[in-house]
Amino acid sequence: MSAYDFKLVKTFDYQRPAIDRGYAGQTLYVNVSSLEISAKPVTRQMKEIFIGGKGFDLWLLWNAVTPKTHWDDPENPVCIACGPLGGTPGYPGSGKSIAATLSPLTGAVIDSNVGGYFGPYLKFSGFDALEVQGKTDQDLVVFVDGIDQKVQIFAATGLPEDAYRLSEVLTDHFAQGKPRNISVVSAGPGAKNTSFGCLNFSWYDPKRKRARYKQAGRGGVGTVFADKGLKALVARWDAGISVDTNRPADKERLKKVAKLHAKEIVELDPKQNEMATIGTTHIVTIMNDHDLLPTHNFRYGSHREAANLGQAVYRRLFDPGYDGCWMGCTVACSHGVRDFIPLSGPYRGQKVFVDGPEYETIAGCGSNLGIFDPHTVIELNFYCDAYGLDTISVGTATAFAMECFELGLITPAHTGGMDLSFGNRASALELVHQMARGEGFGKIVGQGVRRMKAVFAGEFGADPKILADIGMESKGLEFSEYMTKESLAQQGGYGLALKGPQHDEAWLIFLDIVHNFMPTFEQKAEALHWFPMFRTWFSLCGLCKLPWNDIIPADNTSTPEPAKVMKHVQWYAEYFSSVTGREVSPDDLIRMSEAVYNFQRLFNLRMGFGRREHDTLPYRAMGPVTEVEYESRAERYDQQLTDNYKVDIAGKSTAEKVAALRGCREQQYEKLKDAVYQRRGWTSDGVPTLETVKRLGIDFPEVVALLKAGGVTA
Amino acid sequence: MIRVAGKEHPWRQGMTVADLLREYADDPEPPVVRINDHYVSRPNFAQTTIPDHAEIFFIPMIAGG
Repeated sequence: MSAYDFKLVKTFDYQRPAIDRGYAGQTLYVNVSSLEISAKPVTRQMKEIFIGGKGFDLWLLWNAVTPKTHWDDPENPVCIACGPLGGTPGYPGSGKSIAATLSPLTGAVIDSNVGGYFGPYLKFSGFDALEVQGKTDQDLVVFVDGIDQKVQIFAATGLPEDAYRLSEVLTDHFAQGKPRNISVVSAGPGAKNTSFGCLNFSWYDPKRKRARYKQAGRGGVGTVFADKGLKALVARWDAGISVDTNRPADKERLKKVAKLHAKEIVELDPKQNEMATIGTTHIVTIMNDHDLLPTHNFRYGSHREAANLGQAVYRRLFDPGYDGCWMGCTVACSHGVRDFIPLSGPYRGQKVFVDGPEYETIAGCGSNLGIFDPHTVIELNFYCDAYGLDTISVGTATAFAMECFELGLITPAHTGGMDLSFGNRASALELVHQMARGEGFGKIVGQGVRRMKAVFAGEFGADPKILADIGMESKGLEFSEYMTKESLAQQGGYGLALKGPQHDEAWLIFLDIVHNFMPTFEQKAEALHWFPMFRTWFSLCGLCKLPWNDIIPADNTSTPEPAKVMKHVQWYAEYFSSVTGREVSPDDLIRMSEAVYNFQRLFNLRMGFGRREHDTLPYRAMGPVTEVEYESRAERYDQQLTDNYKVDIAGKSTAEKVAALRGCREQQYEKLKDAVYQRRGWTSDGVPTLETVKRLGIDFPEVVALLKAGGVTA
Repeated sequence: MIRVAGKEHPWRQGMTVADLLREYADDPEPPVVRINDHYVSRPNFAQTTIPDHAEIFFIPMIAGG
C-alpha cells in the first residue's frame, strides 16, 4: 500500500434537503479551477421535460458549453446523475448512474450508463446530479459526505495510479469503519493517456470484503475526468437504504410492483438466461451460432473456437455468490473472477479480483482479436479497468490495427517491432500496457480508430479507401461488438444512434435476424423509433435495462408485440407513477424520452454534427469489403443478389459481385435513413422539425434559433 | 424421461432438439434451447441430440443490454 496524504483545500457545508418523490431538488456544482462549490435548484421544467439522469446531465451540459467548446476546455463538465427511480432497493436494476460530457472521440455529447452505488448515494446526500467544471494540475479528490452534510475538496499526494488500488484505498480512508457507505468514481493512467478512458464506479461487496466496480465505458468520459486533474469522486451515505429513502408518492403501490418484478426474475432467470449465474456470457455462443459474433475485426460472424469464450467456461471461472451492482437487484449479473494471476504488467504474478468479463469485453478483447483464450480476455479486462480504458474501444481499435497489420498497411516498423497478427495474445496485452503509459504504438491506437485512420493514411502511406471501409467507427466512436452485415435494422441501430455505434440505444440484431419481427422497411423504421425511445427512458430514471427484456414473462411470446415485453413496460409505468406521483401510461414513457432524445440530437447539431452526413457507417458494417469475405459466404450473397436485388450474376467475377452488392446495400441503408427520419419527425437531413420540437415542448428560444440558423423553419 | 419447461416428457434414443420442437409446433419456435446448462441455437437444433434425464428450457432471447 502506498503512503498517501490528503490536504483539505475547500469545505462546503450544506443542509441536506429531504428527498421528495424521488428527487433531491438540487444539483451540485464543483469547479476544480476556482474551487467553487455550490448547489443549484432543480426547476419544475427540468423535472417535467428532462425527468432526471441523462436528461439532467444534458441540460447542465447545454448550459455549460458553447458550440465552440472542445472536450478538453475547462468549461466542458463531467456530469453524473441518478434519476427519480434510482436508489430504490428491491426493484431490480435501480442503482444506475449516468455520466455525460463532450467526448474526446466524437466532439459531441457522450453518455454512459453504469452500475455501482455512486448515483444513488449522491442523490440521497442531497443532489440529483453533479457537474464538475474546471481543470487543475493537482490530484484532487471531491468528497460528497451526505451523512455529515458537507462537500470537501482534497489535494491528494501519493495515491495509487490505477483504479483497482485507488478504489480500495479511498474506500478504506473515507469509510470510518463502514465501507458499504462509500462509493468511489475514478479513472486511471490509461484514461489520461488515451481518448477512450472510462470511469470506474465502485460499490462495496460485504461478502468478499472488497470494493467492486462497474464502468461508464463509452466515449472517453474518463479521459475528460482525468484531463481535469480529478483523481476521484467519493460519495458517503448510510447504506441502510429502504424503499422509504426515495419518499415515494405511493409506497404500497411501489412495493407491490417491485415485488412482482423481483419475484418474476427469481422464478424465471434460472429457467431462461441464468444471468445471476453467468451474466451475459451466454450470448457468446448464441451470437456465434447465428453468424453475429464479430471475429477478426468484424470480418466474420463466427469461429470454430468461439465456445472457448462461452458460458460453459466462464461458469467455472466466475466466483460464486451474489453479484448485484445495486442493493437487492435480483438480476445480479456483475460477476467476477477471484484469485486471477496476470501474466503481464504491474500485477504480474499477483492474485487479483477481476470484475467481469461481460459479453462485450469477451467479443471485443477476444473473438474480434482472433483470441480464443478466456484467460487472456480476463487479463485484458482487468488491465483495462485498472488503467481506466474502455474494453469495447480497446478491442475494436486493436482489431483494426491487427487487420491493417495483416493487410500490410502497417508494418513492424510502425508498431515498434510488434507482431500484430490476429490471435497474438502477448501483443494485445502489450498494446494495452503501452496505451496506459501513452507510449509506443499503443499511444496511436489509444487515440481511437478515427485518428488511427488519419495517421495510417497521412504518415504511413496506407490506402485511405480501405481504411475507411474497415475502420469500425461512426461519429468517431468505436463499434460495440455485434456483426451487422445481415441486419439492416441493427445497421440503423448503430448508424443512427445519437452518440455513435453503441448498442444500448437500439439492440435490434436478434429481433431482426433471428425472430424476423420487423421484415418490412416500415417496421424497421418503427422499431428504430420505439426502441431507442424506450431504452432512453431507463437512463432518465436511473435504471438498468436488463430486467425489462432479459428475463421475460412466461406468456410473452403469445402477446401482440413480444419484442416490446409490454407487461414489463406497464410495470415501469406503475413504478414511475408510484414514485413520482405523476400518473403515466406506457405511451407517456415514450413521449418523455422523445423530448430528451430530440434535445440530444439538437445538441449534436449545435456542436456541428447531427445531420444526415454524420449518420454514416463504414462499409464493413453493411457488407463484405473484400473478395475473401464475400467468398466465405458466397451462397448467401449470391442468393441475395439474385433474389432480393434482382441482379444477374451470371459470368460476374467475385470483385464485380462485391461491387454490385455494395451498391445495393448502401442504397438500402440510405432508404432506411429516410424512413427513420420521417418516423421521428425529422427533415430529410436528419434534423428535428420545428413542429416536432414544439410538440415535444423543447422549443426553447435557443433551440428555435438553432433550427432557424440551420434552415429549418417548419 | 426428460423435463421440458418444468413438465415430464418421454425420451427416446437419438431424439434431437428439432424432433422435440416438432411436438410443440403450436407454440412459436424458440431461437435457443437450453439442455441442462448447455445452450443450443436454432442452426444446431437438427444436429443436437438430447440425453436422457435432461432438463430442457426454451429460451426466448428478446434480450440485449
